[in-house]
Amino acid sequence: MWAWLLFRVAGVVLAIYLFVHIVIISQGRMTGASTLDSIFETFDKPLFLLLDLLLVWAVLFHGLNGVRVLLMDVGVGIRSHKAVFVSAMVLAVALFVFFIVAAWPLVF
Amino acid sequence: MAQETVGTASGAATGSPAVSGPVPVGAVRDLDRGQLGEARGGVWGWFMQRVTAVILIVGLGTHLVATHILSIGELSYDNIAARLAGAFFVVIDVALLAAAIYHGLNGLRMVLLDYFWNARRQRLVFTYLLWAFGSAFFVFGLWALWPWIT
Repeated sequence: MWAWLLFRVAGVVLAIYLFVHIVIISQGRMTGASTLDSIFETFDKPLFLLLDLLLVWAVLFHGLNGVRVLLMDVGVGIRSHKAVFVSAMVLAVALFVFFIVAAWPLVF
Repeated sequence: MAQETVGTASGAATGSPAVSGPVPVGAVRDLDRGQLGEARGGVWGWFMQRVTAVILIVGLGTHLVATHILSIGELSYDNIAARLAGAFFVVIDVALLAAAIYHGLNGLRMVLLDYFWNARRQRLVFTYLLWAFGSAFFVFGLWALWPWIT
């Protein structure tokens, strides 16, 4: 139940973010290179990096739970769906830590 | 807990085949239609959601590593231009644009159709509106990327 609900919540968040992302990147052509560069500078501030990490978590959770759903669609891990879920989440946390480490020099 | 079962009369979209779990007697027909999960959104929508999911796993993985790990702290108009000078990232980015818009809107569609619009015509109108919105955004995204690509 929780996996299903959080899967949906993360999916909706990512869908909304996608269109924000497209509009932001389009500023390169809409208003020019210097506007886009100043937006990127703002995004290097700690608050936005924190939001980025939330976004990365949403991607990892939704993506890896999605892999589990795909596996179940082809008949893999139906009986052991809890173990598959735990494995997916361990991988998600590991990748998340990797992204935190990568972002660390920008925060400090 | 049977988090991936179609356990309700509405055939709630869970993203996988029905596995087990109690189902109200009167809901058997709906459960039949819900065998593929998200069947209320149509089998094509269900299938394409899986196809775009695979594209996204590969494409988004590449995008995140290349853009946000390798180029972390160096993102700029010119940095994007350098990446999009090669065909590899043009293919990745355009495929991502199309797959992400489809997957995102189709996902939203399946979530919303679980709660709203039971009349077939309303559901079709909603679906067509999303196609119009998504197509427009794909063209807009391509337009925005064009100076970098060419």
